[in-house]
Amino acid sequence: MRNTWKLSTPLVAVVAALVIVTAGFASPARHSSSTALLRVATTAGVTTWDPIKSFSTEVLYMANIYEPLVYANPPGSSKPFRAGLATNWGRSKDGKTWTFTLRQGVKFHNGEKLTAQAVKDSLDAARKRGGASFIWAPVTSITTPNDYTVVFNLSYSYPMTLVAASENGAWIVCEEALKAAAADPNYFESGKECGTGPYTLKSYESGKQVVLAQNKDYWGGWKNSQFKNVVFQITPEAIVQQQALQSGQVDVAGSVPVENIAKLARNPKFKVTRDASSLNYLGFFNTKRPPLDNVLVRRALAYAIPYKDILTVGAGGFGTQSRSAVPKGIFPYSPTTPQYTQNLVKAKALLAQAGHKGGGFSLDLTYAAENSAEGRFAPLIKDAFKKIGVTVNVKSLLFNQQWKLAKDDPSKAQDIFLLLYWPTYSDAGSDNLWSLFHSSKKPFFNLSYINSPLYDKLVDGAGELLGTDKKASQAMYEKAMISLQGGAAGFFLYDADAVFVASKSVNTTGALNINYPFVQFIYAMQQAG
Amino acid sequence: MWHFLRRRLLASLLTLFGITTITFALARVVPSDPAVVYIGPLARPDEIARVTKELGLDRPLYKQYLSYMGDLFQGDWGRSLASKESVLGTIAHRLPATLELIFLAMTLAVVVGIPLGIYAAYRKGGAPDLGARVGSVVGISMPVFWLGLLLQVLFAEWLGLLPATGRLSLEMSVLDPITHITGFYLFDSLVTANWAGFRDAASHLVLPTITLAAYPAALITRMTRAAMLDVLGQDYIRTARTFGLGERLVLWRLALRNAMPTTLTVSGLSLAYLVTGSFFVEIVFNWPGIGQYSTSALLNLDYPAIMGITVLGATVFLFINLVVDLLQAKLDPRIRLQ
Repeated sequence: MRNTWKLSTPLVAVVAALVIVTAGFASPARHSSSTALLRVATTAGVTTWDPIKSFSTEVLYMANIYEPLVYANPPGSSKPFRAGLATNWGRSKDGKTWTFTLRQGVKFHNGEKLTAQAVKDSLDAARKRGGASFIWAPVTSITTPNDYTVVFNLSYSYPMTLVAASENGAWIVCEEALKAAAADPNYFESGKECGTGPYTLKSYESGKQVVLAQNKDYWGGWKNSQFKNVVFQITPEAIVQQQALQSGQVDVAGSVPVENIAKLARNPKFKVTRDASSLNYLGFFNTKRPPLDNVLVRRALAYAIPYKDILTVGAGGFGTQSRSAVPKGIFPYSPTTPQYTQNLVKAKALLAQAGHKGGGFSLDLTYAAENSAEGRFAPLIKDAFKKIGVTVNVKSLLFNQQWKLAKDDPSKAQDIFLLLYWPTYSDAGSDNLWSLFHSSKKPFFNLSYINSPLYDKLVDGAGELLGTDKKASQAMYEKAMISLQGGAAGFFLYDADAVFVASKSVNTTGALNINYPFVQFIYAMQQAG
Repeated sequence: MWHFLRRRLLASLLTLFGITTITFALARVVPSDPAVVYIGPLARPDEIARVTKELGLDRPLYKQYLSYMGDLFQGDWGRSLASKESVLGTIAHRLPATLELIFLAMTLAVVVGIPLGIYAAYRKGGAPDLGARVGSVVGISMPVFWLGLLLQVLFAEWLGLLPATGRLSLEMSVLDPITHITGFYLFDSLVTANWAGFRDAASHLVLPTITLAAYPAALITRMTRAAMLDVLGQDYIRTARTFGLGERLVLWRLALRNAMPTTLTVSGLSLAYLVTGSFFVEIVFNWPGIGQYSTSALLNLDYPAIMGITVLGATVFLFINLVVDLLQAKLDPRIRLQ
């Protein structure tokens, strides 16, 4: 027995050590530090810290560090835009000259004053080397008649407030940083920043966390209830974010599995924040591959899609069925644009009319493996098409692979390409409608490869009118959307809501804005109670 | 011994060269556009063309390969397409997190597995033996990610005893961060007398360590038991007992020493498993180590990062195999004579 005890001594020692060690621990969340610290779990990685080049998920941080001239207000607001770094703006009668008056007394994080020259230099840099440089296409030059006035001279009329409010390519940066970046393209990459926003970048560990700290001199001022420090824990897996939230390690989880949101909503400790977003799911039919080169076949398939089920399964009910490629709440959305509903009888009739009675052909459908929503609803499309005699081979590919397949030879590309899309700024006419379906020599996002002169003419005409006659532009875009539905080069599934879950100790009112996808405005959040 | 070592080192280098070449070729064959990974899919065609030229992706494949291998030998492992950061720098920054986890998991696995295996063999047929065998089957069979999630739900969510994710609490990392010396948080916090940091880091290590150690502990238990049973059945053991040698001496000096080669081999293989097993553990626990970096690199088809991780992984495996072989030779004179 004595020897037995000695044999098991190491085991007993290990167990005892574990007990002692864990007994001394408490979940850190139960002993949380200053309530001015907000802890956020997010999937948003950083591809660059350069605000000029930025065009990806780091927009979450950029939008809290930098500011644009104006902000686009959510639909239903009394005014379409509110003041950012500009307090006043207007255009000439022909819409080709826009004047912005800057807010006075604003300082960059390095102490420099905000001047018209800094704005000009920032936006000239964005025009020249920005990730989203194309949004400045209408601009021929930017002038600064005085320290607080910026004038945009355009080659054609365009509502520059839309562009100036963009979350990509419109940030205003201090001159010191711009000069340094001009000399060294990697200047920002070590985690440097120089904005005017409410938060500064305190520290960054690649792929791990981003820490923002209060900009005490922020022109908007501070309330006691606002968060002075924010730490973003980069957490790629939604379920792990949920674990962190439920165990009290974070206050906000930006992405939790959509099927678990209802359960979290019933938990009195948490609150679900939900708002419309400009993200929408759609699919392209490859019009270069038979039988999808036949519009009747495409319409038949569009009638076969189970839109309601896809909304339930894919979005968990957090969204609305799309009406064309323009998300609800973003110009030029129209509630009267016709939308397809599932009608298998009609689908079969159209197939028969097209000479494919009973279906009898197969299609390759690809979706992005990283996108869990697409993974959930792609099989629903397969099952629905089976009911009309069409076989679908569903292939899950990494987005880059799916993209490459579509961009190489259209005749060898997938038949159906599922895509999550959002406009670069709040003009889904010149973005969604143009980018996704306007013909071009080499398709960019037009992965149906459709070439419709009527559609092109309508979209081009609507774009030209936007700067001077928004109503006429809207009317023309609506005709384009009707044409798009008729041609069925693509099918439009749902406009996804932006949803996140937070502890009830955080008031999240104002954190979301449909015009700024992937962004939570931390300055708007406050400690509850 | 030196001749053996030279031969093994040369073979290892050739193996490493082969693995690197194959990985390079495979990474280029998989359909994807590295320029799109670098600049993002929303970039315009002219931007993508500019980046393609800037990254040298328009050069013939063999030139890209020679350039890469040349840089590799000079210590330049390239820049991640996704994060734009140095691959070697990122690996060096993240490695301590993984090594700390692996070291603790291996220690736990050995400290639990070997005594348990010996005890099970000693009490063959009894309740301890049955418990050890069932436990080892469960440990070997249970998917590591499932075990991790289970432990999170139990200890973090229900009992609130331990944190679910991360290496440090977010408050600690902001308000009282551990001074970076080696990157091993337990060590760094100890030497800087940051006791709150030590406790915080230790609490975050418990669940991932147990998760990662489960499989190797089970394997070591099982193999140690089997090896011990084999040795304990030998005539010389019976003879030693007959001559009145104490059980402790018989087990620890005679039997275990002869069972060690098998246990050592299994432990070496377990260490290799820990390197790959840490991938899943790091995902489940959001552990900022090499595993998490690898997953991200693979999902993004980030070639330079994938190559860097492959070189690292291959080097580690080859090194572990070499060390295990040398230890085997040390323990077993017959191998030395061969």
